[in-house]
Amino acid sequence: MKKEEREAYLENYEEEKKKGVPFWPDIIFKDSIVAFIIFIALVALAYFVGASLEEIADPSDATYTPRPEWYFLFLFQLLKFFPGDLEVIGVIVLPVIAIVFLILLPWIDRSSRRHPAGRPVVIGVTVFGMVAAVFLTVQAVEEAPPPGGTTAEGDRTAALYVDNCAGCHGSTVAVAPGTDLFAVISAGTHEGMPSWNADLAADEIDALVGFILAPRGNEVFASSCAGCHTADELIEADAIELRNALEAGSGYPPHETLDVPEWSEVLSSAEQGQLLNFLTAPDGQRLWTQQCSSCHGRSVAFAGTTEELREVVVQGGGHLDMPAFGATLGDADIEILANYVTDPASTPEGEQLFAQSCASCHAQRIPRVESFDEAVQAIALGGAHEDMPVWGEILTDEQTDALVAYVAEAAERPDLASGQELYAQNCANCHGEFGEGGLNPARSDDIIAPISTAEYLRTRDDQTLRAIISQGQPNFGMSPFGSAFGGPLSDDQVDELVAFMRAWEANPPVELPPEVEDVPQPTASGQEVYGQLCAQCHGQLGQGGIGTAFADPSWQSANSDRDIFDAVNLGHEATAMIAWGEVLTSQQIEQLVVHIRTFESSGSTAGPPTYDGAVSSIFEESCTACHGSLGGWTGTSYEEALNTGQGGPTIIPGDPDNSRLVQTMIDTHPDGVIMPPAGLLPDDTVQIIIDWVAAGAPER
Amino acid sequence: MGDDADGPVDEKVGPLGPSIEDESSDDQGVSRRKLLAGSVGIMGGAIAAGIGVPAVFYVAGPSQEQQVAQEWVRLGSVTSVDSAEPTLMKATIERRAGYLTTTEEFSVFVTTENGTDFVALSNVCTHLGCRVRWVEEQSGFFCPCHNAVFNRDGSVATGPPPRPLDSFETKVEDGQIFIKGV
Amino acid sequence: MATKLGDWMDDRTGWRTHHATIFLRKIPKINWSYTLGSATLFTMFIQIVTGILLTLYYVPEPQQAYASVSYITNELPFGWLIRGLHHWGASAMVLLVVLHMVRVIIYGAYKYPREFTWITGVALLLLTFAFGFTGYLLPWDQRAYWATVVGTQIGEVTPVVGDTLRAVMLGGEEISGLTLTRFYGAHVWVLPSLLLLLVGIHIFLVIRNGITSVPKRGE
Repeated sequence: MKKEEREAYLENYEEEKKKGVPFWPDIIFKDSIVAFIIFIALVALAYFVGASLEEIADPSDATYTPRPEWYFLFLFQLLKFFPGDLEVIGVIVLPVIAIVFLILLPWIDRSSRRHPAGRPVVIGVTVFGMVAAVFLTVQAVEEAPPPGGTTAEGDRTAALYVDNCAGCHGSTVAVAPGTDLFAVISAGTHEGMPSWNADLAADEIDALVGFILAPRGNEVFASSCAGCHTADELIEADAIELRNALEAGSGYPPHETLDVPEWSEVLSSAEQGQLLNFLTAPDGQRLWTQQCSSCHGRSVAFAGTTEELREVVVQGGGHLDMPAFGATLGDADIEILANYVTDPASTPEGEQLFAQSCASCHAQRIPRVESFDEAVQAIALGGAHEDMPVWGEILTDEQTDALVAYVAEAAERPDLASGQELYAQNCANCHGEFGEGGLNPARSDDIIAPISTAEYLRTRDDQTLRAIISQGQPNFGMSPFGSAFGGPLSDDQVDELVAFMRAWEANPPVELPPEVEDVPQPTASGQEVYGQLCAQCHGQLGQGGIGTAFADPSWQSANSDRDIFDAVNLGHEATAMIAWGEVLTSQQIEQLVVHIRTFESSGSTAGPPTYDGAVSSIFEESCTACHGSLGGWTGTSYEEALNTGQGGPTIIPGDPDNSRLVQTMIDTHPDGVIMPPAGLLPDDTVQIIIDWVAAGAPER
Repeated sequence: MGDDADGPVDEKVGPLGPSIEDESSDDQGVSRRKLLAGSVGIMGGAIAAGIGVPAVFYVAGPSQEQQVAQEWVRLGSVTSVDSAEPTLMKATIERRAGYLTTTEEFSVFVTTENGTDFVALSNVCTHLGCRVRWVEEQSGFFCPCHNAVFNRDGSVATGPPPRPLDSFETKVEDGQIFIKGV
Repeated sequence: MATKLGDWMDDRTGWRTHHATIFLRKIPKINWSYTLGSATLFTMFIQIVTGILLTLYYVPEPQQAYASVSYITNELPFGWLIRGLHHWGASAMVLLVVLHMVRVIIYGAYKYPREFTWITGVALLLLTFAFGFTGYLLPWDQRAYWATVVGTQIGEVTPVVGDTLRAVMLGGEEISGLTLTRFYGAHVWVLPSLLLLLVGIHIFLVIRNGITSVPKRGE
């Protein structure tokens, strides 16, 4: 502004003032009216709305959806447009530009014009800024409904989403194809999203993955299935069974009496995929556990490329031709291989050959063959691998991707020996040699719970274990072990530890009592309770094991009934012997004492195992996954167990040595078949089967 | 911007009296200004009262809370009271101040003539709040701060205290002495 | 008598001149949007009065902060009103200060000779936001705690000094009792001192330079 302009303005202003009004009382009167209105409005807001006070701050509660005060919401919303490294633009650059613009405004807008019509740029920028702020604020309010606001009651998955995700992500999240969403949720991102694995169980994360990837699947489920089913119950369902049920419509036995349409008639193929993705989330580790590990075992081994792996999975056994090795190997080599696969122990030289020619597909798993001749034929001519389902027809693309990604990654895991060594050095001190837990040295009066139980491992995926080991659990006195957090272990070493712990799932170091949810009815008799709970550690016949041998006469004489009752009722601290008084009625414990006393009189035989007793549950747990839907022998009923089987009876009552069942379970079968294929069952479990067959395989 | 002389408002030539006197010469202007000023006063007063009156209650709030416990507080067994000289008995009481609850220990002298009727006297001197103690030679309660002495019944023997030691209502139930009004 | 006292006071303080300068000056004809500044000032007074009343009971220690705010809100007579006014007054003040600024921009009131008034105004706008941010944590409830977690984490992305900045602001890596006391100190001592100083300058300049007249078309 030039000097003349300034002087002209001052002159003009003097003129304006002369024509004006006195500050008191005219202007103050106006101000008072506004102040008065504001005061009334504030009192009304204080009275009718009030200032809320929520629960006291809980820093450990990560499920709380944080919201800034409304006047910061526009900034909060702005950040959503600047993901990752760009965040600095939304947080620093734009606000600094805005503030500098404001401060320098009188020097940016130097003209002498004052009417808004004469200053289009400044007015334009201001209006744009204000409109943008209002728009962002409204958007933030709309996108993130307050927790629990709009969820349909009973839709637990949606509630999970609202509680955990909606605060930042709004009502939907766009996920780029190929993203491993499970990993993102459980590990968090470096863009500021926290890791959820400490707050959500693997089931819940899977439910969220399904919900986010397949919103349409959730809708279909909610409208078509939720009347009878809950989403949780199906999350662990068998993918084959699920697809059968959906394709068969009312032809699926449990749906017989219901008016269930075939899904191909009511759903588009995209919707079908969404529904499957919603129900069986694309989570490689869970898919592997549910669908593959019953045949392939828990430890994943695959030496080929990801593309090869994908092909194997998609095509499954029906299309997966083994090459005719007759064309590439000599007769002698084929003979060695055939001998090796028929009886590995007799042909040690076959191991190397197998590793060269077969292991890229078969890994360490030796295929099952009936006889040497069959093996020669199979190797020389190749052929289809019919046992393996054609997963390409069962899994959705997303599920297949996740499975392949998991297997490819897991196959590169280190061997268990180094993990075991690391465990012994770093963990066994507090967690016990077998992960059984014990007194917490860091905090008095605290017991470290077992970490090797099926329950513990099932509910924590590898990401979670990795996080716990690396970051520690400061609240419980566990220091961080990862080098990134100041601990002694590198990332690779933490991975080795996780792999070692994961192997516990296949071979539990200690059979711990089942969790309380498997607890017997209050009406169960002492004998039933014993069979269900106590026998796991103390032996079906009181012969002992992890727990005390009740059949030992000296133990029986050293303990009064009262001692036994107290031991059951109160348990022993820091062992798997929990205080059963919290689970069982005192009447049941009294009956247990009576039952335990029977071992004294009968020595070590309280009667042989029966099908209805211990045997059927072993079959169900370890065999039915394959034997049942895939043909051959079936153990799902007593009659079937004794009468089905290929090439002769599987069970010869009274003759365990010649029963195929026993042979395969103790690796004495002439063809080298072992059951389960993933590895033999624990000795005491096998012993129950042997005892049962030896006793004439009684039904009850 | 130039120096002060260039400023738009110079105090000496500022908009002062003359223009206002112009208006006040007009009767209508006077009444209008009075009306405006009156309205400002009423609205300002309403706002001041709207905050001020609640503020008084707000500030005075805790003083209105019941400070004196109305329950009976157990002191101890009757057998522990010596009939020859006053016995100092201790008890604890929970006091609530606003949102805070504190546990306070307090002491009273209990005297008895016949073993059935008990008198409970505060051990706080009524002069400036020092603690008194029983002195056998003077057969009275002695306050070390200003050498005041109270008689065995709590009345002032010598010294500056304005009134006797405070006493509490007592009762005996199941062989236990209780007092009220601590 | 009153006149005599007035004369005596005037002789010793010169109050009549000051009174005339402040109250009896003439102002160009203006519209209702010009009340936004005084309305902001009014909410500031509400905040000062209710804020002082709140400090009579509030204790800046995590457990007691929550308990004392709960006591103020639920048990003290008119505690709901005092806290309610302070809570809503904060929102009102942010809203009014922004509207006031927009009005100033639209009428070009930041121009000569009021550039410095404008700069103090921008500083006051930022101060108001700082008040809102520090005050939000004080009740120490879930909403307060987590909003501060998010708010301070946002600042962490500042290049180079972000982490240090956050740690200094919080008095450690995490939000703790130390964070509460320093937010309290800022909200109750540091920011109000700056606010009063700046508001004083701002108002002095408004009186000295006079309020902008509503610009006419073409001006």
